[in-house]
Amino acid sequence: MAAAIRQPGWYRGAIGLVLGAAFGFFLVVGLRLLSGLDAMQTEQTGYPQVIVPLITAPFGFLFGFGAFDYWFRWAAGKPTIPEDHSGHGATRWQDYFKFNTDHKVIGTQYVVTTLFFFLIGGLLALLMRAELAQPGAQIVAANTFNGLFSTHAVVMIFLFIIPVFAGLANYVLPLMIGAPDMAFPRLNALSFWLLPIAGIIFLASFLAPGGSFDAGWTGYAPLSTGAPLGQSFFNIGVQFAGASSIATALNFLVTIITMRAPGMNIWRMPLLVWANLSTSLLVVGATPFVAGAQFMVFFDRILGMNFFNFLEGGDVVSYQHIFWFYSHPAVYIMMLPGFGIISEIISTHARKPVFGYRLMALALIGIVVLSYSVWAHHMFVAGMFSWLRVPIMITTLLIAVPTGIKVFSWLGTLFYGKIHTYSTAMLFALAFIVTFTIGGISGVQLGMIPLDIHVSDTYFVVAHIHFVLFGGSVFTIFAGIYHWFPKMTGRMYDERLGRIHFWGTVIGTWMAFVPMHWVGMDGMPRRVADYASQYGDWNLLISVSAFVLGAVQLVFLYNMIVSWRFGPKAGNNPWRANSIEWHVSSPPPVFNFDEIPRVVGGPYEYGTPGARHVIMGGEESADVPEPKPTTVTAPS
Amino acid sequence: MESASIAAHNHHVDDHHHGPPEAHQSARIDRTVLGILLFILSEIMLFGAFFAAYFFLRVVADPASWPPEGIELPVLIAGINTAVLISSSFTVHYALEAIKHNNHRGLKLGLTLTWLLGATFLFIQINEYIHIGFTPRDGAFGSIFFSLTGLHGAHVFVGLLLLTFANIRAYRGHFGPEQKDHLGVEVPGIYWHFVDIMWIIVFLAIYIV
Repeated sequence: MAAAIRQPGWYRGAIGLVLGAAFGFFLVVGLRLLSGLDAMQTEQTGYPQVIVPLITAPFGFLFGFGAFDYWFRWAAGKPTIPEDHSGHGATRWQDYFKFNTDHKVIGTQYVVTTLFFFLIGGLLALLMRAELAQPGAQIVAANTFNGLFSTHAVVMIFLFIIPVFAGLANYVLPLMIGAPDMAFPRLNALSFWLLPIAGIIFLASFLAPGGSFDAGWTGYAPLSTGAPLGQSFFNIGVQFAGASSIATALNFLVTIITMRAPGMNIWRMPLLVWANLSTSLLVVGATPFVAGAQFMVFFDRILGMNFFNFLEGGDVVSYQHIFWFYSHPAVYIMMLPGFGIISEIISTHARKPVFGYRLMALALIGIVVLSYSVWAHHMFVAGMFSWLRVPIMITTLLIAVPTGIKVFSWLGTLFYGKIHTYSTAMLFALAFIVTFTIGGISGVQLGMIPLDIHVSDTYFVVAHIHFVLFGGSVFTIFAGIYHWFPKMTGRMYDERLGRIHFWGTVIGTWMAFVPMHWVGMDGMPRRVADYASQYGDWNLLISVSAFVLGAVQLVFLYNMIVSWRFGPKAGNNPWRANSIEWHVSSPPPVFNFDEIPRVVGGPYEYGTPGARHVIMGGEESADVPEPKPTTVTAPS
Repeated sequence: MESASIAAHNHHVDDHHHGPPEAHQSARIDRTVLGILLFILSEIMLFGAFFAAYFFLRVVADPASWPPEGIELPVLIAGINTAVLISSSFTVHYALEAIKHNNHRGLKLGLTLTWLLGATFLFIQINEYIHIGFTPRDGAFGSIFFSLTGLHGAHVFVGLLLLTFANIRAYRGHFGPEQKDHLGVEVPGIYWHFVDIMWIIVFLAIYIV
């Protein structure tokens, strides 16, 4: 037992958690008593005796759990322990519950954790839909409803969509570029463990006096600066989630730039790598803005500052500018990795090179650049500078161009391809193109100022966001999980159940979210627990469809869990794909490769006789001609 | 980027290795250095968020006077403090140059001086907070003054921590002239330069303009 307490792990983590919380609590109480104040402060924007432990306890846990052990040794000038790789790789299921530095274990940890939060976020959504099935108040009180839609959005965005992409990429990206691991494995593990902490903080806000944060996921000031205690939980949780995604993005960028296999120049990188490169650029550049915005709200609440207090010279609209300067790029953070996944799957299952490979990559970079210039289209009715409206409208419409390039390139890839639909991944990829395009078009409509003013804060906006985030991002996530499931687990999922899941999801998505456009055009306001009875029939249909959509996810869950345990062996390359991860065993060996592979061609040379992407270590390479240095997949 | 290089491929491979294969180095920049540069990029954006707030509070909200009536900022003391911090950038550079020439005495001297200058800066800053005559609760000016200088102070504190680690290891005789052997000086040094340059911008925005 004593040894178990000294070793990094859950025992030491639990002790660290308690000590961290106690430290924060007694620090606040002690300082307050020393200053002659009451020990406790229970104004709703205060509660320092809760807030400070909420920050110190996670750090205590991480210290105890072993996140900083190596760095502490280094900092103290001790000789660092020679790496024995004991914290690397998983041989038993318990290894997934440790501070593990293997990118494949971390990827799995990410995907499983985020799917858990997907389930929670989905249940919150179903509670809302149950309330909205009929006009009038039935199930939850109005302010509980506000908490439900806020936590639903926050959990889905910060704990499902953004990190699940980081998880999938964590698993496959180092394999794809021929790297033995990520550039900073310990930072990678720390990024993962910050994530469940953020999730627990968000959900714990339901226990706070006054209920969970209820100012929407956007947390607009001054609604948020005066809101009950739960809002501070949101401010702090965002810092943990944001730190997690910044650290991961930094890790991806360094890995992609410095650790590619010999021969993999930038025009031979698979598009998933390109997509994560551009996403990471967005995360590193934009996420600090949401951290800043939440710091300011937090300072206004806790320290009595006046960033958003008009009476004291604050500026209310500035919150929205700073928030959306992150949060518009954030929608591309939630979409670009999905674009990469779709490119991989479409090309593999159409047996054709990606149409316009270079333009696909450049379109990603174009989206990155443009996405920094469109934030204010969320604020056309916010009373912002009137001169900014038209320029922002133009950039918003412009961003449809690179996105359109991607859609047409996928169609070009499919055109005259040998399209196989035996994989559920391909079905989701095809459905994604249709659904995302619809959602994208309603996005262009929303970018036009007159229409935006008409439908602002209605269900039209809800319909748009769910078409692009559920019909877009979540479809790509499903596609990605089905595509790499055999690689990650070494086993095959059940195609029949996959198809049930696919059709249920597609039909549920369309039935739930298409009518939202119509009630939105008629003026049904979003974020309200009750509505005029004229919208009753459509809302009943939406609610029923939402429950169908929710229920069919259980099929997915069952399929994943049972196939992981009992599915038939998948083999190394069930999809006959080209990229490097399919040339190693399923699941891949602990250190990925015995020898770093050598890249000799583009990643999508399907149907080109004699074309090769990679020569694996130990493979006879004499019969492979030396490649021309600039072999590129020409648009066919 | 780099052309298809196969030179790294032909090294002798031990059949019985225990660790991962060495990753192919596909860019000339060191991983750790690139990592700290990207981290600094995201730090700049965090400061950017607060400078955006500064812009809104000062230019868009357009108060009658800035700083508000009755607030006199100690420009002279802050200016001296600026000089202290800027000089510390030179001493940390001296430490790095020293270790590149295998001069351990110079390394220790440079790092110690840098640490002392940084601590002096922080001490003067805290002293200024105590005697400045207004609090974070006093209007929008108080908010942005304490947030920007406080955010910067937090960065000085982190930089000092990194320098403390570098000092400990320098006094234990670690580090050497090869780049991989003095990353522990170079990386905190890069961060320290960032902290200095950011202070110049904060100083100009808060005290001078």
